[in-house]
Amino acid sequence: MKKDLSYDALGQIVEDRLLIWKFKLGNSDALRRIYEKYKNDLLKLAVALTNDVSTAEDAVQDVFVSFAQSAAKIRPAGNLKTYLATCVANRVRNTVRDRQRHEATGVEDADCVICEAERPEQWAILSEELELLGSAMAQIPYEQREVIGLYMQGGMTFRQIAKVRNASINTVQGRYRYGLNKLRSLLNSQVDK
Amino acid sequence: MKPVDNINEFFKNAAVNTNPRMDEAVLDKVLAAHERARNAKSTFGGPSTWRTIMKSPIIKLAAATVVVIACVIGLSLWRGTQSGIALADVVARVEQAKAWRNKGSYTGTEQLPSGELRRFETRYSGLTSREYGYKSHAQRPDPNGGWLPGRELYMSPQKKAFIWISPMEKRYTRLKWNDAEAQRQQKELIQWSDPGAYLKGIMACNYESLGRSTIDGVDVEGFRTTDPNCHLPLRAYVSKDPRVDVKVWVNVKTRLPVRYDSLTSGLNERGNPITHRFVEHDYEWDVPVTAADFEPPPVPEGYTIVDRPTVFDEKAAIEGLKQCIELFGSYITISGSERPALVALSALEKSETPATLRLKDEMKGLTEEEKLNRVRSAGKSVIQFILLYRGLVRDEKDPAYYGNTATPQDANKVLMRWKVSDNEYRVIYGDLHAETVSPERLAELEKPQ
Repeated sequence: MKKDLSYDALGQIVEDRLLIWKFKLGNSDALRRIYEKYKNDLLKLAVALTNDVSTAEDAVQDVFVSFAQSAAKIRPAGNLKTYLATCVANRVRNTVRDRQRHEATGVEDADCVICEAERPEQWAILSEELELLGSAMAQIPYEQREVIGLYMQGGMTFRQIAKVRNASINTVQGRYRYGLNKLRSLLNSQVDK
Repeated sequence: MKPVDNINEFFKNAAVNTNPRMDEAVLDKVLAAHERARNAKSTFGGPSTWRTIMKSPIIKLAAATVVVIACVIGLSLWRGTQSGIALADVVARVEQAKAWRNKGSYTGTEQLPSGELRRFETRYSGLTSREYGYKSHAQRPDPNGGWLPGRELYMSPQKKAFIWISPMEKRYTRLKWNDAEAQRQQKELIQWSDPGAYLKGIMACNYESLGRSTIDGVDVEGFRTTDPNCHLPLRAYVSKDPRVDVKVWVNVKTRLPVRYDSLTSGLNERGNPITHRFVEHDYEWDVPVTAADFEPPPVPEGYTIVDRPTVFDEKAAIEGLKQCIELFGSYITISGSERPALVALSALEKSETPATLRLKDEMKGLTEEEKLNRVRSAGKSVIQFILLYRGLVRDEKDPAYYGNTATPQDANKVLMRWKVSDNEYRVIYGDLHAETVSPERLAELEKPQ
């Protein structure tokens, strides 16, 4: 299942390297272009991972803000899409864990924040297919969901996913296969309705 | 719609668009962050600049001069500020302290859906030992003036126990940890109560020196960050538009913290304004302590004992699921990361069972906060179940929960499952009986019918 680089993909990589180079020199237009180029892909990935538009929007916004502040840390030779997709996946994981940590230490009972209000204006508008996909993805285990999201939407190879998740390539491929089978059944049962 | 054979194709077609107004707003924020970073640091230097320098001998010489000057300036910065304090040195000293006392306060405001502004305030004194654990006594404001006793916390990773005593509710709550949980809590303890961790949070961001001043007769030097991406206590509650203002003052002589003041504000998950202020002061470093200092008191008379397991407790989970049916007539849907009491309140609002109608009737005229407290007490087992399930997610036990599709009549449909070993999963079915199954059997059970 090796991912081949098409002429288009190579063009994208060259453009990305140029954008990163300009961004590292402080060029705001390059940052604007990176945002325009990848915001939808990242939102789609975040929705697939969370099935929660609000959490997805927060994750993508946070990633772009951090990215904007990290010009010095970005490697000019790295793959920009892969880098941003990994940041989104990490941010989603951290957000979920941060909140669970508070719950686990009993903050639920503390004099804490209580809120019940209308959501602010929505940033991401999902197609019917993405809503279906998000809700089907939510029914498969998170590890499998993450591999599918990073492979299909983040454009990452299994080797890259294995490296960032500190897992063996066989484990990652197994998660992908199991997840995909389950996802296919779930989606078929939903579209049949 | 036709069946989905090609998931790749389905993924491609699953599109997302963006609301142009929000798009602009987010982009503005991103560009503003970029601008701030540019102003704060001169981190921008491209490869072409380097090449240009290396091509010209004159520029090479000039560059060498610049490097020497930069080294001299850098050396003076590395050695510290005007008083010679470097935060890394302060962190090292804090990490050497075996135990410390301090006082602190936590104040905040939030806007409720009704538009009402809710304020909360608590102050406390704490004792932390890297060896024995943590304890604190809190106080809450008395509406008639002065302060009333608040919660007492006792946390002992050594004894694998976490106890909190709530005088207001007359409750003595105990959490029992297993070895892995105790080890995790030992790390968490450092994360949440160690000023060294707060300082590391500041050091990871853009920060500045506030210069010298005096606090209670002690010569101090201040440091400050307003970087919204700082990893700070309570930052997790602010979901959007985070604004932070964090200051720490360090004793010039001992190079240990004297006061920490963190103000975080923004919008919470639901888009309501929220402000948190967390202050710690009156530190006493390296105080002598013994294990007895962290011994929790016996259960006071008239207090209810509540045992809350932090490791997964199947019986408690089933109790919670039973209570879902009793209260709401169906299993609850657990959304992403919403607070458990809100999940229960939202289920209650949608439900029309006699039990919920009675509860809703009782809650008429209550404030939002009172409603949540009422739900916490009426749906105690449900909330416990949500916490237990999220514990499985946190511990990566490969859990899944199908509360939106399984019903109490489904004796063969998986309601919930989690991994117990490499080759085994525990499954709770819709009718609440449970069994251990192989991964293959689980795959069969979870196949969409």
